[in-house]
Amino acid sequence: MSGPAREPAIELRSLRKTYKKGKKTTVAVDGLDLVVPRGEVFGLLGPNGAGKTTTVEVCEGLTVPDSGSVSVLGRQWRTGKDQEIRERIGVCLQETKFHEKATVRETLQLFATFYGNGRPVDEVLALVSLHEKADARESTLSGGQRQRLSVATALLGKPELLFLDEPTTGLDPQSRRQLWEVVRSFRAGGGTIVLTTHYMDEAHQLCDHVAIIDHGKVIAQGTPAELIRSLGAEHFLEVDVDDFGDKVQAAELSALPGARACEMTAARAVLTVDSVHVVLPALQHLLSARQVAIVGLATRDATLEDVFVHLTGRHLREDDKP
Amino acid sequence: MRLRIVLAVARTTFREFWRSPEAVFWTYGFPLIMAVVLGFAFRPGTLPPVPVVVVEGEQAESIAASLRKNPRLKVEILPEELGDRALARGHTALLLRVQHGEPVLRADPTRPEAEVARLLVERVLRDAHDGPGQVIASEVEDRPGARYIDFLIPGLLGLNLLGAGMWGVGFNLVQMRTQHLLRRLFVTPMRRSEFLIGYLLGRFVLVVPESAAIILFGYVLWGVPLRGSVPALTALVVVGGLAFSGLGCLLATRPRTIEGIAGLMNAFQLPMWLLGGTFFSNEKLEGIVRWAAEAMPLTHLNRGLRDLMLEPGTWADVTWPLFGLSGFACACFLLALRLFRWT
Repeated sequence: MSGPAREPAIELRSLRKTYKKGKKTTVAVDGLDLVVPRGEVFGLLGPNGAGKTTTVEVCEGLTVPDSGSVSVLGRQWRTGKDQEIRERIGVCLQETKFHEKATVRETLQLFATFYGNGRPVDEVLALVSLHEKADARESTLSGGQRQRLSVATALLGKPELLFLDEPTTGLDPQSRRQLWEVVRSFRAGGGTIVLTTHYMDEAHQLCDHVAIIDHGKVIAQGTPAELIRSLGAEHFLEVDVDDFGDKVQAAELSALPGARACEMTAARAVLTVDSVHVVLPALQHLLSARQVAIVGLATRDATLEDVFVHLTGRHLREDDKP
Repeated sequence: MRLRIVLAVARTTFREFWRSPEAVFWTYGFPLIMAVVLGFAFRPGTLPPVPVVVVEGEQAESIAASLRKNPRLKVEILPEELGDRALARGHTALLLRVQHGEPVLRADPTRPEAEVARLLVERVLRDAHDGPGQVIASEVEDRPGARYIDFLIPGLLGLNLLGAGMWGVGFNLVQMRTQHLLRRLFVTPMRRSEFLIGYLLGRFVLVVPESAAIILFGYVLWGVPLRGSVPALTALVVVGGLAFSGLGCLLATRPRTIEGIAGLMNAFQLPMWLLGGTFFSNEKLEGIVRWAAEAMPLTHLNRGLRDLMLEPGTWADVTWPLFGLSGFACACFLLALRLFRWT
């Protein structure tokens, strides 16, 4: 089958972008390949500086790549189709300061005039739950309300493809969930969303597919469940002790029945396990026999963060380090 | 070009500006206040006396008494050391001391008031020595249109157009760039030309009323005349404002910081302040400085404004400034369109 309906929303091939500052050249995107199917929420995950925003900005036409091909909704930038692409996409940048003396409604009215066949302002206000703040000036809005205003401006043109670049960074949990609802509702209407985030729970909750990006390359891609399954185990057992000393080795712990791997420090071990109920008695028996006192024990499901750590040996955010 | 987008951008730009009292004051209120203050400072009236110092010693009292008969001179007797210091600091225009029974004048000839003081003192001393000389009748030029205030007000009008155009347009554009608003606008279907024209329109709408206010102040407070064609004057104000807005727009196409645009604006604005013919006639300048003054749009705007305000000028008298400034505005705007950086 062929035709626009089967065409991917975005197709990137061998994308490369470098930035020069003085004599120093930084490679932001390094031969990246990516296909975003239509009708999905597609997450780009990665730490700060991984190349997520540059990739998205190339797709939005904001940044010109050094090499590689970019196709957005079947069109290429700078081939006389820019206006057409812009009519069909909606963009929420990482950080935008709108006119601070304008009200929410006035800002939306301005953006609505840019689109030939846009949505009514009141409809978008309701969609992002900002109708009560319609007459409030931008300078009086909270961080979450500002972010929803930004998303609202992206929705005004009835876009087929929506770019959300870290839309919930710095927001409180309630504001985050309000934005998640907006994303789900847009997807339910048949739209495609490209979402960059470094919140793993957000990606897990919202995304149909995710691509993990590091050092400008896609290092893993799939559904959140597939990526987690690729770890080979879906649970973690975290053990805190007074001191392992030389009494127990990591290899011994990973050899326990039901365990697959172990990362260990002086007073903490994190075991990747298939079945917690099989590992736990064996672990307790071993530690008791070696006279190591357990001071804390916790189990949790594997997350996309674990996938990233497994792939790179680093955490997505510096402040997430244990 | 889609008019609805141009008007929406103009409306938003104007509203944002109008709702910022500080911006309105510094862009339009302050120049108006400056015009009034400068107008009062240079209003027609009697000239202040010229300060001269007579050094203590033989004949000092009698010479001082002679000099005091001339109301244009403000005479003080001081010891030599204090007299020298007063001259060095500019507190007096001229120092007179008696040497071997003869008066000796000391002054810096590059200071304009020193020459006036020397002429006045020489006249008094000559009259005292030889008897009164011939008195030549003189008249004070106080006819409207020929006073310094009449020269100054059109210049201040030009200066206001320069400030409002360059700072009002350029500064704000760079601010929008630093706040990533230009990037956000770039990813919409709006075209550069629609944005820039709408933006200029929104910032420009107050320029004509502001200029009318300055002309009105000049007329009501000091009788500064408006003798030429009002439609031609209006056109010149609009074209002049557009020329400087275009320059502001052009300068704002690339800078990414407020410091960058402020420096660039000053680099273009300060020479025009000094040489653009606002506070003194730049027609007396010579050489490369004169050439630089003639290359400045403010020079031609001020000249045209004076032709239309102080003389019965018509469209024909301002053809060159109108075409020249229009061409300058178009060139700046087209170049800005080409060079404009959203990000």
